[in-house]
Amino acid sequence: MAAADSPSAALQRRDLCSRGIRLAGKMRSDVIDLLDTYVERQGLDASASVVTVEGVPVAAVERWDEQTGTQRLLENLAAYRAFRVLLAQMLEEHREQLGDADTALGRALAAVLLQVSAFAYHLEELLRLESRGPPSEEGTAPPPVPHLGLFERKLRGLGVLRELAQWAVRSARDLRQLTKPSLGSSSAPSWAESP
Amino acid sequence: MFSGWNWVAYGLCLLLNFCSLEVSGGLVQSCGHIIPESPVLALGSNFTALCILNESCLDFGNIYANQIIWKIKNKVVPKEQYREINRTVSSVTFNDTSSLATPLTCNILADGQIEQNIYGIAVTIGLPPEKPKNLSCIVHQVSKLIYPMTCTWNPGRHTFLDTHFRLKYRWPQDEFPDCIPKDVNNSCTITDVQFFVNLEVWVEAANALGKAESDRLVLDPIEIVKPLPPHNLSVNSGILPTVLKLSWENLISGAVMKLKFNIRYRTTGDTNWIQVPPEDTASPRTSFSVQGLRPYTEYVFSIRCMKEDGVGYWSDWSEEKTGVTTEDKPSKGPPIWRIIDASDSPASWTVRLMWKTLEPFEANGIILRYEVTVRAKSSLSSPAEKYNVNTTNLTLKLPNGTYEVTVIARNRVGASPPSVLLIPASNSKAPVKNVRTLPKDGKLWVGWTAPNSYVLKYVIEWCLVSNSSDCIIEWQNEPGNVQGTYLRGDIKPFKCYLITVYPLYADGQGSGQSVKAYLQQDRPSKGPTVQTKKVGKAEAVLTWNHLTVDEQNGFIRSYTILYKTVDGNETAVTVDPSKTEYTLSSLTSDTLYTVRMMAYTDEGGRSGPDFTFTTQKFGKGEIEAIVVPVCLAFLLIVLLGVLFCFNKRDLIKKHIWPIVPDPSKSNIAQWSPQVPAKHNFSSKDQMYPEGSFTDVSVVEIEADDKKSFSEQDLKPFDLLKKEKSTSEGHSSGIGGSSCMSSPRQSVSDSDEGESTQNTSSTVQYSTVVLNGYRDQTPVQVFSRSESTQPLLDSEERSEDHTGGGDGTTPRQQYFKQSGGQDETNTDRPCFERTRQITPTNEGDLVGFAQLQISGHSSQLFGLGLEKNIQEAALPDVLQTSIEGQTVRPETVAGNPPSADEMPKSYLPQTVRQGGYMPQ
Repeated sequence: MAAADSPSAALQRRDLCSRGIRLAGKMRSDVIDLLDTYVERQGLDASASVVTVEGVPVAAVERWDEQTGTQRLLENLAAYRAFRVLLAQMLEEHREQLGDADTALGRALAAVLLQVSAFAYHLEELLRLESRGPPSEEGTAPPPVPHLGLFERKLRGLGVLRELAQWAVRSARDLRQLTKPSLGSSSAPSWAESP
Repeated sequence: MFSGWNWVAYGLCLLLNFCSLEVSGGLVQSCGHIIPESPVLALGSNFTALCILNESCLDFGNIYANQIIWKIKNKVVPKEQYREINRTVSSVTFNDTSSLATPLTCNILADGQIEQNIYGIAVTIGLPPEKPKNLSCIVHQVSKLIYPMTCTWNPGRHTFLDTHFRLKYRWPQDEFPDCIPKDVNNSCTITDVQFFVNLEVWVEAANALGKAESDRLVLDPIEIVKPLPPHNLSVNSGILPTVLKLSWENLISGAVMKLKFNIRYRTTGDTNWIQVPPEDTASPRTSFSVQGLRPYTEYVFSIRCMKEDGVGYWSDWSEEKTGVTTEDKPSKGPPIWRIIDASDSPASWTVRLMWKTLEPFEANGIILRYEVTVRAKSSLSSPAEKYNVNTTNLTLKLPNGTYEVTVIARNRVGASPPSVLLIPASNSKAPVKNVRTLPKDGKLWVGWTAPNSYVLKYVIEWCLVSNSSDCIIEWQNEPGNVQGTYLRGDIKPFKCYLITVYPLYADGQGSGQSVKAYLQQDRPSKGPTVQTKKVGKAEAVLTWNHLTVDEQNGFIRSYTILYKTVDGNETAVTVDPSKTEYTLSSLTSDTLYTVRMMAYTDEGGRSGPDFTFTTQKFGKGEIEAIVVPVCLAFLLIVLLGVLFCFNKRDLIKKHIWPIVPDPSKSNIAQWSPQVPAKHNFSSKDQMYPEGSFTDVSVVEIEADDKKSFSEQDLKPFDLLKKEKSTSEGHSSGIGGSSCMSSPRQSVSDSDEGESTQNTSSTVQYSTVVLNGYRDQTPVQVFSRSESTQPLLDSEERSEDHTGGGDGTTPRQQYFKQSGGQDETNTDRPCFERTRQITPTNEGDLVGFAQLQISGHSSQLFGLGLEKNIQEAALPDVLQTSIEGQTVRPETVAGNPPSADEMPKSYLPQTVRQGGYMPQ
């Protein structure tokens, strides 16, 4: 708490939030672009409906505005750690499938993966500033990916990207909420309430 | 790298070729080795090497460490650097590795002073890497999603070793693979970076001697982005003629960064850009309307962008796009002026109205036509004349008067404000003063002093003055508040321009004030051709023509006349440029001069052709001044001579024509009564008519009746005369003298004596024969008669016959001729020729013929004489006519001689100088 109240910590927090918001925006933009490329390269239909993919965190949440700051950060961190694993699997699958032939898609996937990692780093830093510290990754590891067919993997990848785009929007909103001055103090007791 | 391998190879070669004292089983076995093997040393550090001998070689070859010699590249290392550690080990130490070279060999001096190589090593010397400095990075956007980051740094000094650089970067929680430069050592490009996360970047340099790292940069790559410029820029004309709308696309997502822009534009053909105020484009956008443009003008636009907060780099300028604003009505009326020609008739003018096309920024579109209105100010009742003209001039014939001319330019949108020109009946207003020009910055500036009255505007007229073309008037308007302007037109250097300034007033105009000017002057293209108008003894008048204006190339400031003689120095005379004639003075007479002429402008002069002339020998009137006095002097002398002669005529006559006594007038002649009877001249008169002789010998015989001296009185004189005659040589003092005879032959001072002698009782005769006749040898004969008898014809004849002792008495003939008409024999000067012919072989003198005749008649006359002589019918006496005007020659023949005494032939001759005729 003491750290959070210091001017430099507040400044750093604000900077992290600001750049996190922008990173989320860019990530969303890149994911949207990637979705187009992915659909095209994987031979999918952009209007294809994808059911909820197992292991992929869902961005939608009820009573979003009632969440505390720490809650938001923790949920975001958990989601992006999951996305990092999922995207790494997708990239691996893509390389196994196409080798280095489709460099554009692979490069775009890698870029999004980097951004997901960067955003997770932002969240970890924010949690560290909240004197909370990031939770260990070991307990948050996604379930092992079931053996799927090629088309299913493509659809799963499409679902991952779409959900990531949703999460990018939500994350930006969460960070904006964190930057509001009123929430700075209100979020403090939430740490205690949070598990 | 290459050098390192080279050294290693060299060391291996040494190992293979040297170092063996014992060969067994075909393998080379070394007797020792050096520690360290192939060291890499820092430049300037110290270094110690050990050479260790094998024990086997000690026993076999009796070699020990004290025999070791160290060499660097075959150069022996000084012994001071050696140290024998034990009997098998020797060390060498170098305090500074810069003195080292490859190879470093260990050698031994074996028995017999034979040097053997034991071992050798290659030494590599270099420097450890320096810390890379000035690390900086930039993210170049190459496409919408690709943002490679390029970092550059200063690698530091050359290390002489293989040094590797690595660009390292990482997130706090993630490491990334190093970026390894290719072919360079000072930059590397990371292909893809992620924004909004701080990136830690640094450079690591490493070689065999060490490793160094640069300072670390921590940056968010979004802050060092140089984005791509906006693309697909388009320009659209808006509703207003002064607005163009720009549209573009940004290649960087708004999610990545928000952009601000710079927009610049210029008119086509212009090079200077105008920038839209940055604050107007400081926010993200994809379009912008540029305002304040000129109607109907083509503009070029370009745009660039950067991060909105100004952190990062500006993009390059986008490609240029052009757009044209729409038309607007002309902003002003065309400038108007006129040329009035009043020469046709006194009551009317030919007015040529001229106006200039509007500048594009004034026309605001395409001018379709001009509307000209001419209104006479004097008669308000007369309607205005209107003309629609497509050209820029209109010629009208108008009665004299004051007119107001209005011109309107019209395009598709509308009409311009009217331009008004007042043409007054006369330019009676005050003119400008002190019109002057000044070349400045390659243009011609015209200045003037404004009149005191308020001037509406000025009109500056100018034209190129040339011999080869007419003066084509150009003009321009200037506002009334200026007093100088540059001529707007193609003003050429070295050309003469006539510039006129007119002030225009609200109610009239002033007369024009003119000045000639050059934008730039040069030397004249040729010099004047000089020639002489008049040449005198010491001066010459030179004339020349002025150079034409095309030849002048500037204002002729002066002429210089240069003249010289063939071998003299050149003299220069400067002449005022207004003159066309000059008189050279103080020239030398009768001398060839070369003259040429130079014309000078401010930039220099040029010479004309040479012209030569020669001054006269005499000046004007000099000949007259010499000739007239000489003639006058001559005439004066002649006059004086004539007067002298006239005054002294008696004396002259006495000296030149001595008075010869006329025997016929002597007292004795008068005494002899029969003499006149013997003379019958009638036939002679007929034979020789009067006036037929042009040159006559006259024997003047002065009959001095008064002088009848007694014989005693004369005797003393006679004696004296005799002596004198003798002293005169072959001249006779008693005979007459010829006027033409030489003084030697004539005794002029004995005239008086002769006269006296003639009248005396004693008459002396003497004959001198100077020349022979034909083939006869001339013999000077002087014979003197001492007779005192009166000189009578009969006596003379008889005396001739009896005088000669040898019987060959010379016969004398006496001829007397008279050429005068009115003169008496006594007064008239005579020409007398005497000849005495002395007989030669025959000794006979047949006769004398003494004639003075004209050349053409002498022969005939001579023949006549010969005939008369042969006939011998004539009286043998010499008869002189006193009264008659002509003395007729008489053939004097005495008694006819015998046939053998007579001359065979006789030809009359002119009396020669020296001839003498006895009297």
